[in-house]
Amino acid sequence: MSFFRSLQDSAFTDWFLGSESIWTYPTVLTLHTIGMAILVGASFVVHLRILKVANGIPLQRLQQLYRFIWIGFIINLATGLVLFVTQAADRVVDPVFYVKIGSIAVALWFGVLVKRRAIDPGAASPGVTRQSRSLAAASLGLWIIAIVAGRLMAYLTS
Amino acid sequence: MHDFALWVESTRISKALFDITWLWPLCESLHFVGLCMLIGGAGFLDLRLLGLFRGVPFRDVKALMPWAIGGFIVNATTGTLFLIMQPHLYLTSGIWWSKFTFIVVAGLNAAFFETRLAKPALALDPNADMPRGLKIAGAVSLFSWFAVLYCGRMLPYLGTGN
Repeated sequence: MSFFRSLQDSAFTDWFLGSESIWTYPTVLTLHTIGMAILVGASFVVHLRILKVANGIPLQRLQQLYRFIWIGFIINLATGLVLFVTQAADRVVDPVFYVKIGSIAVALWFGVLVKRRAIDPGAASPGVTRQSRSLAAASLGLWIIAIVAGRLMAYLTS
Repeated sequence: MHDFALWVESTRISKALFDITWLWPLCESLHFVGLCMLIGGAGFLDLRLLGLFRGVPFRDVKALMPWAIGGFIVNATTGTLFLIMQPHLYLTSGIWWSKFTFIVVAGLNAAFFETRLAKPALALDPNADMPRGLKIAGAVSLFSWFAVLYCGRMLPYLGTGN
């Protein structure tokens, strides 16, 4: 039996998915949604500002929003790992899962690049360059892809 | 409510929509994107009202509101479609009515803010301490929207009206 199969068929998975309690699967799933709202919600605000919506917000004040981005990310990394373990064998062969994880990785990476280039004090190029705007727009699009892929995993794979 | 749900479900529009197999997953995806827009935009305003992001003028925070309202419209539309397609899941579910109540609370709070508090807030010095009224409005809004999210996500586990 493969490693991922043994995770999915473990006693932990049985308890986690089979329990009648709302404190196992339902609560972890809900925390994953709350983390998404914080992570993607804060990212939306940062990137919309970079794209000149709410132009008056001083760029450096966006730094504080990255704290929320990382809090949301940590919540979702932790809850996501638990959700993954309980479906490990199904997920490792699921292309939609890789679309989701890939989109998240690149969206976060672009978010960090935007911070370094346009937000941090002493950013390489003061102000928002065209390149930063492209990164912000791409990051926004990738977050939407990640959300849709996450939702569709429930439908496109068994 | 049970009879009303049965009636909605018997209508031609309910059946026709539910028969479109991709419509439900599409609406769910849009519902999640919409909630990020709503909680991102409204949550940022709420945190500002609570005294965070001091120095950022209200006018600029409010510039994000069309995006938050856009998210709400997306979610109200997709939510209504869920309701038309599967009314018995929602209309006879206590947790769904809790969700609906929190939406009303958040909406009334937003209307009160817009009509009574927004003007003084806009006139406020961006570095000033937040008056208590604004802090309360921000806290009520933030709590209500996360309560809406909680009730919605927990609905299948805390009881659909099924």
